[in-house]
Amino acid sequence: MKRLALAALMFAAVLPAQQFKFNLDGVGAKASDSVDLSLSGPMLQFAAKFLDGKDPDEAKVKKLIGGLEGIYIKRFEFKKGGGYADVDLEGIRSQLKAPAWSKMVGYKSSTDGENAEIYMRMEASKIAGIAILCAAPKELTVVNIVGPIDLDSLAELGGHLGLPKLQKK
Amino acid sequence: MDWLEQELKEALRKQEPSPDFMKRPRRAPVAPVRNWLAAAAAVVLAVGAGGAYREYEGQVAKQKVMLAMRIAGSNMNHIQRHILEAQQ
Repeated sequence: MKRLALAALMFAAVLPAQQFKFNLDGVGAKASDSVDLSLSGPMLQFAAKFLDGKDPDEAKVKKLIGGLEGIYIKRFEFKKGGGYADVDLEGIRSQLKAPAWSKMVGYKSSTDGENAEIYMRMEASKIAGIAILCAAPKELTVVNIVGPIDLDSLAELGGHLGLPKLQKK
Repeated sequence: MDWLEQELKEALRKQEPSPDFMKRPRRAPVAPVRNWLAAAAAVVLAVGAGGAYREYEGQVAKQKVMLAMRIAGSNMNHIQRHILEAQQ
C-alpha cells in the first residue's frame, strides 16, 4: 500500500500543474497560425526575475504572476471557418464542471458567431485557477491560469497590451 | 637475417649523443602560477558563458510570459467588454 502511495506521489510530481486537458492536437493540424504556451510555476518565477519593475506593463505582469503555479495557452487561427468542431469545445467544457469549476460568465454572439466563457476554480474560498474559452469562426483560444489571480488587473492589462500577431506555423 | 631484421637493427642501433647535447638550451618548466592563471581564465570564461546563457533564457521566458499575459488579458478584456455592452 505504501509503495502504491509512493508511486502515485511520484506520478503526481511529474504531472503538469495544468488543471484540465486541452485535447486540441487535431485542431492544431488544421490551423494556419498557432500559439502553444506552457509555463510552469518555476518558469514563471524565473521569468519574473527578468521583468523590469520600472516598466509599467512589466511591473503589472510581475505582480500578477507572483503567486501563480502555471499558465497554459493554446490559440489557433484558421484561414476559413470549420477549423474546429463543437465536439472539440465539448471535450474541454466537460472537464470544467462543478464542484471544482463554476462558470463565471459566458456570451454568445449570433452576429459574428463568437462564443466565449470564463470558468473559475475555487479552493478554500480563494481563486485557484481560471479557464477562458474563446471560440470565433476563424479563431480558437483556450487559457488555463493556475493559481490565485486578480481578474480585473488581468483584464485591465489586456486592454492596453493588445493582442499580439500570431507566429506563422 | 632478412631485410626487416636488418632495418630494425639499424633503426634501434645505440647512438651516442652529440658533444654539444648538454649545452643545448632546455625548455624551462611551466611555472605553476601560469597553470593557475590558465585555470582561472577558463573558469571565468565558463562562468561568463553560463551567465550569458542564463540571461538569454531569462529573456526568452520573459517574452513568453508577456505573450501569455497579452493573450489571456486581451481575451478577458474582450469578454468583459461584450458583457458590459450587453448590459447597457
